[in-house]
Amino acid sequence: MEQVKKVRPTLKLLRAAPLAGLVLAMMAGNSAQALPIFARQTGMACLSCHTVYPELTHFGRMFKLNGYQLDNLKDIQVTTDDGELMLSLPPIPGWALFVQSDYTVLKKPLPDSQIPNATSQSSQVGFPQQVSLLWGGKIAPHFGAFAQLTYGYGSGTINIDNTDMRFANNFILPDKKKLTYGLSLNNSPGLQDLYNTTASFGFPYVLPGNAGVGLGGAGFSAPQLQAALAYKVVGLTGYVMWNEELYGELGFYHHSPQGQLGNPITKVSGPLDSQSQGVLANNAPYLRIAYEKDIDAFALEVGTQIANFKLFPGAGTVGALPADSPGALGGPTNDYKDVSFDTQLQYVGENHIGEFHVTHIHESITNGAGFAAGGTANPTDSLNFLEVDATYYYKRKIGASLALVNTSGSADAGLYPGAAGGPTLGAVVGGTPLGVVTSAANKPDTNSYIAEVNYLPWLNVKFTAQYTHYTKFNGGSTNYDGAGRNASDNDTMYLNMWFAF
Amino acid sequence: MKTIRSLMYLVAASGALSLSSQSWAESEAPAADAPAVVAITPEAAHAAEYTAITRCQICHGAQGHSKSPIYPALAGQKAWYIVEQLHAFKAQTRGDPYARGMMWGMAAQLSDSEIDGLADYFSKQTPFVSKPSPFSGGAKASAAVARGKTIYSEGDSTIGIAPCSACHQGDAAGNEQFPRLAGQHASYLNKQLIALHNGSREQVVMNGIASVLKPDDMNALALYMEQIR
Repeated sequence: MEQVKKVRPTLKLLRAAPLAGLVLAMMAGNSAQALPIFARQTGMACLSCHTVYPELTHFGRMFKLNGYQLDNLKDIQVTTDDGELMLSLPPIPGWALFVQSDYTVLKKPLPDSQIPNATSQSSQVGFPQQVSLLWGGKIAPHFGAFAQLTYGYGSGTINIDNTDMRFANNFILPDKKKLTYGLSLNNSPGLQDLYNTTASFGFPYVLPGNAGVGLGGAGFSAPQLQAALAYKVVGLTGYVMWNEELYGELGFYHHSPQGQLGNPITKVSGPLDSQSQGVLANNAPYLRIAYEKDIDAFALEVGTQIANFKLFPGAGTVGALPADSPGALGGPTNDYKDVSFDTQLQYVGENHIGEFHVTHIHESITNGAGFAAGGTANPTDSLNFLEVDATYYYKRKIGASLALVNTSGSADAGLYPGAAGGPTLGAVVGGTPLGVVTSAANKPDTNSYIAEVNYLPWLNVKFTAQYTHYTKFNGGSTNYDGAGRNASDNDTMYLNMWFAF
Repeated sequence: MKTIRSLMYLVAASGALSLSSQSWAESEAPAADAPAVVAITPEAAHAAEYTAITRCQICHGAQGHSKSPIYPALAGQKAWYIVEQLHAFKAQTRGDPYARGMMWGMAAQLSDSEIDGLADYFSKQTPFVSKPSPFSGGAKASAAVARGKTIYSEGDSTIGIAPCSACHQGDAAGNEQFPRLAGQHASYLNKQLIALHNGSREQVVMNGIASVLKPDDMNALALYMEQIR
């Protein structure tokens, strides 16, 4: 459901490219899975795979690992004369729907972009915030998929959302331990992961569709591994899991945006050139290692992700560029080396469910392209992301969550400009700085706390009330943007209603 | 007074025994032909082992030693009982919550021969011995275990409960008529007693017995049976 935590790279790229008018970054819904498709296919209830959707249980992790394969349907089959199976097709297509609606209130409304001293609306209603058509499940023996087509009210369009197509199989080792192995083709690094510590299916599971600013909105910086490249890349990864405990995965991501502009020469889509923005230059390597230990009703996981993304800034503007334009898709790149540590502890009891996650990502940035073009102040930067969250549910009906989300990084006036370098009143030229997404301290440092309560009258109907409080935003608590806005002005109250059927 | 109690006690016990001789199959397995446990070919045994390790393991453990107390340990369970239960899941005649939520789906695709193979596989594994939860200690739990032991071994004539051991034997190891209970996760046993008590799991003998058990007694029995070795 559109990009959630991808805002800083967008700002960064804008800075590295000629300023094309400041667009507050793309709006978000949030990614989630809990698939009535799979319930219909397997004949099993939500609670098999989920504590409360989208958090996966051990069974859910193994279902995903095995390529969404289990089914209880009488497949349509064809065999050869020798009895070899040529087709085993589930009799019904795996389809389901998510419908989310929301109501969001920003503590202090944003300034009006055109009229001095006026403000925008502080509340937004998304009805629906987003609608997803989910498809997938077993496609053939050993082949399965989980995918979404999502309409989001922020974009007003239907887009390719989370997509994961798999092959998976098992091998029994001589000591009777199981080795599960497979391949995943997916469109966001980490989307294919089994644990809810990674970006695509990490807490918070829902975020405002049009908050304006902060988590789920603009001005919030996060590393590439926090779904910054979601739906713009495709990765082929191979994985093995030993005895449901030790997981290893290695793969490579290639740039693959949907809806790319036509190449000016061929007039059809692709190949990409300077008219595009933020293009992955390499086949970016992605490594994941995780270890899970299940004891009694507890499941403990520790793991790491390592990835290296090299991005051409591109220009993203249609028109002629000088010969040495940094927009060309060649030459230096901006490199992002991400290393994460994550741990997850789950308790799944009869009446009580507890979940605890920690995710830390350190990103080392080499501004090969951005620094040369004057888009960044430093040749190298770093960014740290920390999230800690805990959730309790009683009988899968009533739950509460608390979370800390913290980012910190090096000061860089190019990446995190002050008010003078940000959006100004009256749009295109000049005028009074509006701030909001800018940083007087030229820093990304943001600290937020999220409190959330959930009520599920049914396992597939979820009501969420969420409040996000910012103690620091883009490097400051008061007047953080250089235009008089305080961090807590971005506090956001959010109500979400999520139907899955 | 004592005589009357003893009489009630005997009636209850004999009633339970005579009913139980009809076997579990009559209420939980599909009505028609309750399957007998048959000889397993090496190929079927191999296939069962593959299914057990690739699928059943996820909840029940590869050798039937489940980690989570939500899921029953299957190791050392009587083959006839596993056969009956898998058929009951497949026929959707066993209706306790996790049976509906998980096993109806899991068992739907199993053929009779696969069911026989899985039953044979798990029945031959080293019996499971649950370690009581580290959170279940203390005087209250000890008192509950003692109460459970009393009901199990001696019954409780005040509520018309015959000793469980009359059918399930003192060691609760299971036999050709009664399933193994010893060493099972207390949480699972308790959940099954509740299901038998409220009728979501239909088993004519146990429905009657469990119907008079109070929640505390079901919990006490479950805690005690988990500790039977």
